[in-house]
Amino acid sequence: MQNEESLVRRAQQHDPEALAQLYEEYFGKIYRYIALKIGNRTEAEDMTQQVFLKAIKSISSFKWKGVPFSAWLFRIAHNQVVDYVRKRAKHATVPLVESLVSTGDNPELIAEQNLDAERLLSATQQLTKAQREVISLRFPGGLSIAEAARVMGKSQGAVKALQHSAILALRQVLFVE
Amino acid sequence: MRNKRFDDILNECLDRLLMKGQTVEQCLDSYPEEADKLKPLLQVAMATRRASALQPSPDFRTRARYQFHSALRDMEAKRSRPFFGWLPQWATVATTVFVCLLVAGGGTVFAAGNSMPDEPLYPMKLATERVRLTLTPSGIGKAELYAELADRRIAEIERMVGKNKPEQVERTAQRLNTCLMMVASLLSVQEAGGEEVALAPAPRTPALETVPEESAPEARTRGEGGGSKRIAKQEEFRRKMLRSAADHPAALRAMLRNAPESAKPALLRAIAISEAGYEKALRALD
Repeated sequence: MQNEESLVRRAQQHDPEALAQLYEEYFGKIYRYIALKIGNRTEAEDMTQQVFLKAIKSISSFKWKGVPFSAWLFRIAHNQVVDYVRKRAKHATVPLVESLVSTGDNPELIAEQNLDAERLLSATQQLTKAQREVISLRFPGGLSIAEAARVMGKSQGAVKALQHSAILALRQVLFVE
Repeated sequence: MRNKRFDDILNECLDRLLMKGQTVEQCLDSYPEEADKLKPLLQVAMATRRASALQPSPDFRTRARYQFHSALRDMEAKRSRPFFGWLPQWATVATTVFVCLLVAGGGTVFAAGNSMPDEPLYPMKLATERVRLTLTPSGIGKAELYAELADRRIAEIERMVGKNKPEQVERTAQRLNTCLMMVASLLSVQEAGGEEVALAPAPRTPALETVPEESAPEARTRGEGGGSKRIAKQEEFRRKMLRSAADHPAALRAMLRNAPESAKPALLRAIAISEAGYEKALRALD
């Protein structure tokens, strides 16, 4: 997105056009991030909406001091996921194959996505918490390594190393085992 | 040290795959000495991206957009109350109009109306547009105004391409994107029941066919009351959007052949934005 800083500044002045533009830009990314982390599509939809409602309420508190806006927004999503996991700790996770299937019109595509999504879920369950976080931020979330590092509160070097080990672990589970 | 270097290479390749749309082969060509190690990791990365490309359901998307815009409206209402809370709504509007007329009296606003993105008065033009949007109370009215502003942005893009100003083309294309997105959002809100007035049903006529005014059903009912006038107006808006969706991207595409080389990448992005934006707006109209 071009000139995100000025867009965010306008949004902080409660310019509805700027807020709507940020919403459209990040909605899908936040949804995918949450969906992959919690493995429940319906819950992910509600939680995504909550993230944006929280964001418009607190956007004036965001300080532009080298912290990307995306990192701030994903941090809200991360906290939302942490709350959810804490509250639902005793409940079993809904299988990804049932809950995360994209609703397209192409049956072949749906079948392919089913297969991949199912395998991805079982694979990500075997990663460490930090590896799962970096995969969720980088792939469905679409964040750069610098942004992911901000969200995770780690150095870029550490996140790069985590990313490497996470992909190695995924490969081991998806294609070697 | 070697691992650190490999982490950097892997990360660079992932950025190229995920953010720049390059292929695994392109990345491997850049690092042939690491190709054996990189290839399986990049293949996993591509599979992961495919598997995680999930989209929220369209129903939820519409509902969520409606809730979001409702929250924005509530917020706006709360913010404006302390300023004009003691005035009735008509007085608020009258005050704003009065202020605008005062400014317009100097002729500055009129002059700004024709200004282009590379001219000093252009910010005034944008500010005037924002005032017009503020003074437009209904959702459908705002959608119509955003569509009109999108027409302006297209004309500005054409002028900026002609003047070989790629940066201004980029910026104006982003503004065009915002306008078209707002049209789609406002229409989605209406579809979801956000306002009393629902859009008229989609016409059965082909997209660009001109329906003779007097033979159209809405024309026959003209004058029979506010409802039929409103429907006719909405129908007119639908036709206008269909025309714009066909004409504007085509006009930009037609410029490609003679556009300066340095302006072509920005023009291509503007074309992509206009095509996607109008498609989205039309989907919201269906």
